[in-house]
Amino acid sequence: MSDVGRIATGTRSRLAELVRQPTTLAMLVLLPPVVIEMYGVAMESFPQVLGASADPATVGRVTGTLFAVAFLAGLVGLFQVISAASGDERLAVAGFPRSALLASRLVTMVVVAAVAAVVAFAAFAVRVEVAAPALAFGVLGLAGLVYGLLGVVVGSLLPRELEGSIVLVFLADVDNALSSGLFPVDASASLPVVGELSATDFVPLYHPHELFTAAVLDGELADGHLAPALGWVAVLLAAAFLAYVRSTGDGAFGGWGA
Amino acid sequence: MTRVGTALRLGAREFRRTPVLVALLVVAPAYVIGLFTLVAPDGRAVLHLVGGDTVRTTLPEAFPAFTTPMTAALLAGVAGLFLMHSAADADGRLVVAGYRPRQVVLSRLGLLVVVSAVASAVSVGVMLTAFEPESLGWFLLGTALTALLYGMVGVLAGVLLDELPGVYLILFGSMIDLFVFQNPLATSRPDLATALPGHFPLALAMNAGFGGGVDLGQLAGGLAYLAALTAASTLAFYRQMRVA
Repeated sequence: MSDVGRIATGTRSRLAELVRQPTTLAMLVLLPPVVIEMYGVAMESFPQVLGASADPATVGRVTGTLFAVAFLAGLVGLFQVISAASGDERLAVAGFPRSALLASRLVTMVVVAAVAAVVAFAAFAVRVEVAAPALAFGVLGLAGLVYGLLGVVVGSLLPRELEGSIVLVFLADVDNALSSGLFPVDASASLPVVGELSATDFVPLYHPHELFTAAVLDGELADGHLAPALGWVAVLLAAAFLAYVRSTGDGAFGGWGA
Repeated sequence: MTRVGTALRLGAREFRRTPVLVALLVVAPAYVIGLFTLVAPDGRAVLHLVGGDTVRTTLPEAFPAFTTPMTAALLAGVAGLFLMHSAADADGRLVVAGYRPRQVVLSRLGLLVVVSAVASAVSVGVMLTAFEPESLGWFLLGTALTALLYGMVGVLAGVLLDELPGVYLILFGSMIDLFVFQNPLATSRPDLATALPGHFPLALAMNAGFGGGVDLGQLAGGLAYLAALTAASTLAFYRQMRVA
């Protein structure tokens, strides 16, 4: 079987596992719209003390949409890796290339994130007029990818559901608050080569949030935020690769691609 | 009762043997409450307490105050969820070995009380570095009650749902309820806010924290909510044990 065939088989198998859990499927479809609407309604009652620049309900729905998609992808990434810890090791011993195993896990995560993005974007677009729908949807997918990879990294480093979930939940909680733009974070530092870095550069959802807001409200690509967002994807992809190899093998790279 | 105590001790020992988990119980509150305190913008805040009182304070004091119950609730909620999942197989074996389902249920709920108490104590301890409530005891009680309520929500989710939607529900449920709907910085609360689990205990904690006076009705409301959730989660867990 070719690598592509193996990846397709692995992905079908993972997706079949998810489809067999009706409560999971129902929650994937129902929760994003509920979360988005709740954020919109709740944000209307906030005073101007926080740094909201647009209509509070729209700000709430923007934040809720990104968070719903990103965290869902993160959870799928986390549980994909945790469930892989023992099974994939056996498959690798049996001769299945780890690259194909990781790829099938990642493709599964991307498929679920894409479905969540479609559901969330549809719920969002019903309530908010989106200036550049294709761009906004693409950014949602990017946010899902960033968090999905973060979930893979956390799941590889803490391969138990309780600990991994606690870390992901608390990371997402703080990330969502800081990246939402509701808190004016001024802290920054100047690093050699990299240049000036703001504290918000260190939260994964900040750049996708800026990109999504600009796409929704102004219909344009936010200057200076695409490259850092893609940088997060590249860094997390490399980290996920290393962490996955470590968690499913003996820590050496010898088995990779075998 | 001896059997309940033994099962409770064994569960607590399992927690202690997981140093990463114990570390997270300390690090997670420090991370969340510490960071929110750090990024809180300088400036004045007007808090709208349940009951109608309005209190003037500063944002660097308000942020740690209302993120503390939320942090404890998140920890207890996630712990409650996985307590049920990880326990399902082992507890089924205990029942086969002669334990009564109610003894297993009691030991698990006892463990949840321990986790909620630790999460609340650590969270309030971290908060005290930035904010000192007017009435520490009542604030701690409000925080612990919030944690217990979300712990029970976690137990229910653990029995009824798979892990993935369970974690999703706990995170968004607690965020929307505690951080957004019950936030005292909000000038008004949606009608739905009063029906959510966090309403009474957070009102109790905020009133205790900012000198609005303690309303025993809020304590009673929180305890009644806790009793209802405990009954529902106990029933669901008990049925699971009987099936196992």
